[in-house]
Amino acid sequence: MTNEQAVADIINLSEGDSSLANEIRELGGEELLECIQCAKCAAACPLALAGFSFFNKRVIQAVLMGLRDALLDDSSIWACQSCNRCTEICPREVNPFEIIQAMRRVAIREFALPTLSIEGLKSLYDTGHAVYLAGAGNTRNKVGLPEKPPSTVANPEALKELQAILRKTALAELGIIPMEEPGV
Amino acid sequence: MPRIGVYICHCGENIAGAVNVEEVRKYAEQLPGVVLARNYLFMCSDPGQELIKQDIRNGLIDRVVVAACTPRTHEPIFRKAVEDGGLNKYLLEMANIRDQDSWPHWQDKEGATEKAKKLVASAVAKAAYLEPLEDRFVEVTRASLVVGGGVSGMFAALDLANMGYKVYLVEKNPSVGGNMAKLDKTFPTNDCSACILTPIMVQVGTHPNIELLTYSEVESVEGSVGNFKVKVRKKQTYIDWDKCTGCGDCVNACPAKVPNEFNEGMNNRKAIYIEFPQAVPKRAVVDIEHCLNCAKRVMGTQPRIHSKTGEPILAPCEKACKTGACDRSRAYNPEGELIELNVGTIIIATGYKVMDKEPFKEYSPQSPNVITAMQLERILSATGPTDGQLKRPSDGEKPKTIAFISCVGSRDKRFHTYCSKVCCMYMLKEARLIKEKYPNINIYIFFIDVRTGGKDFEEYYNYCRNLGIRMLRGRVGAVDELPGDRLRVRAFDVDLGAPVELEADLVVLATAIEPAPALEELGRKMGITCGSEGFLKELHTKLYPVETSVKGIYIAGCAQGPKDIPESVSQARAASSAAAVPLTLGKVIVEPLISEVNQRKCSGCGTCVQLCPYSAISLVEDKGKLHSKIDEALCAGCGICAAACPSGVITLHGFTNTQIFAQIKALAS
Repeated sequence: MTNEQAVADIINLSEGDSSLANEIRELGGEELLECIQCAKCAAACPLALAGFSFFNKRVIQAVLMGLRDALLDDSSIWACQSCNRCTEICPREVNPFEIIQAMRRVAIREFALPTLSIEGLKSLYDTGHAVYLAGAGNTRNKVGLPEKPPSTVANPEALKELQAILRKTALAELGIIPMEEPGV
Repeated sequence: MPRIGVYICHCGENIAGAVNVEEVRKYAEQLPGVVLARNYLFMCSDPGQELIKQDIRNGLIDRVVVAACTPRTHEPIFRKAVEDGGLNKYLLEMANIRDQDSWPHWQDKEGATEKAKKLVASAVAKAAYLEPLEDRFVEVTRASLVVGGGVSGMFAALDLANMGYKVYLVEKNPSVGGNMAKLDKTFPTNDCSACILTPIMVQVGTHPNIELLTYSEVESVEGSVGNFKVKVRKKQTYIDWDKCTGCGDCVNACPAKVPNEFNEGMNNRKAIYIEFPQAVPKRAVVDIEHCLNCAKRVMGTQPRIHSKTGEPILAPCEKACKTGACDRSRAYNPEGELIELNVGTIIIATGYKVMDKEPFKEYSPQSPNVITAMQLERILSATGPTDGQLKRPSDGEKPKTIAFISCVGSRDKRFHTYCSKVCCMYMLKEARLIKEKYPNINIYIFFIDVRTGGKDFEEYYNYCRNLGIRMLRGRVGAVDELPGDRLRVRAFDVDLGAPVELEADLVVLATAIEPAPALEELGRKMGITCGSEGFLKELHTKLYPVETSVKGIYIAGCAQGPKDIPESVSQARAASSAAAVPLTLGKVIVEPLISEVNQRKCSGCGTCVQLCPYSAISLVEDKGKLHSKIDEALCAGCGICAAACPSGVITLHGFTNTQIFAQIKALAS
């Protein structure tokens, strides 16, 4: 949903899902109802600056109004940079970032996530990095760094451990990305 | 030859920032009659006043001119200084070189200095002709009148009565209680309104110092502080209240149905009725306009006699009455009774009314399920039309979704531009009461700003949000009727940045608080003006909030402007303490700045008699000749008579023709 669409579509509050607010509170957004929509978080939010339809304050209002479909149809929440400025400055200690995280949890249960996010998850499982530039080895060599960073990329044992941990998370149950145990 | 001392105040930078004070001082020094001129940083400070006192004591001066700020706030302290120095306190004249000079001419320093010279010269010219005057004292009638028997009026009356003063409490309805009696619960503590109000009503009804005059209205007010003569009309109840016990048998017997004002028209009362169950006094009245005159028992006629039994044929109400209080044979005066009260002070606490829904066509007022918040209050109340059951008017069903709309008629140029102040809180309260009882009912509050300023109010608001009451910023543009008694609410959610609509079963309008009907007329009877919004005007917003422009008349509660119960009670108690001051002193000072007629020269034309706004002048006959006479106690010193007298024989002391002409001459030179 772009900004223009958000203005044009009439939102029917009667179709609002009153269970959404409780779901968000259970999934980490405990302080949801403390929000008074002062918009201080939005003033600091890169999403708002970049023109996304649903940034912290609007996500919260949409949750309060039970607009589950509108939030699921929109990819704004996946663009959150986790900068946590909102959490730092919120005068009501709402922790808006946690509410976005909770909304991501709601979305992922419905498989409502963009391709880019699936790729990120797959990369995390395969390499230990959500964003890993495989072709960066030459550049690293040129500046005198080892070809592979000293992380899970260079340490197959550590990667195995990470994957074992990930397989124990809810991500494995969802089956969004292939998470077979190597050698099985 | 008078010896005038001139004192010029810097008022810090307030005056000295625009006026060259030293230049004005030098100018003043050479004015005729001036023997000395001084300037000082703050003339109103102790050392400033000491300058004046010392010069008087040293025998240097016998007239004082202070060029400073406004006499409205500062004349009393300079008069005191002059008196302490040993002169008559009316030998003082002030030139207002701050409000009338330095402030408005701040950008023109030279012009401001020149104007200051003129104002000082004018005050000096008048000072030369000042005459010593003596204060007079008027005895005070140690009784007070309180108009309005709501929570404000009752507290004002109780305080004065507890101080030992006689209080007349006039209430237009049959019972005291006012609007608060209609409320279910009260914010911010949610105590039951009736539970906290009824004991107060009972105290008022039984206090030995309070004479309760319910079903009565003020007809006229004459006189001035200390001695007001008030005519009060006791409306005709058509019931002998000395005999009535409030049993309600007559009410049960009455067949006539009339929309019940106490329940905001949502059910019916009888033509003979007791206002509400906790009424004080609990007495019945007959609403004669709606009385059906059963059995042709028109008031004041004798009953017909049954041809067979020989018994008189009575109306059901009088048949039911066991005490003889309801007796339709009695010849009642439809005009009721006019009584006259003598009181020293008056408190006006006539309260407010809430707007009804009719003017708001955009919100489908024709739908029975669009109600005002006061109607919802009655629905929630155990003594209301639904016995406290949450039922919507159209079909008695419990609503599943309720929408509240704020600022209906408030902050709206078509109706009232002011904020009604209590609506945010009462909406939250009503929503909370419902949500606590029925958590599954969806409640939406459409607001513009949530204004919850007040002790413990913000906490109340947070609590409501945490109950899951949905707050939505955006004024509702329309409420449409849908099939099946449903309503569609259309708004723009400012926080989402999108138009929204909601289907609701019940829409509650938080309609504005407005002045009680005829408040302006009552104000006129007392000489008090209303502001543009229609509420009575206080003397000074900050410093004299319960005083009015008429000495001895005070205001409390919503007659002065919208306020909640804690504020109304605070103001009522402030008004009662202010109203007790003259009663406690037993006498009031009357300034001698009043008019006097030279009766020898008066032609008796009567021009002044007609013009006097205070009815202080009358024509009296003396040795066969008419001439006017001014009642010193009533004269307010406005000067209209002195200006209008064709013979020029009325003198307004403190503003004589000689003094004013001297001022004009000095200004024009």
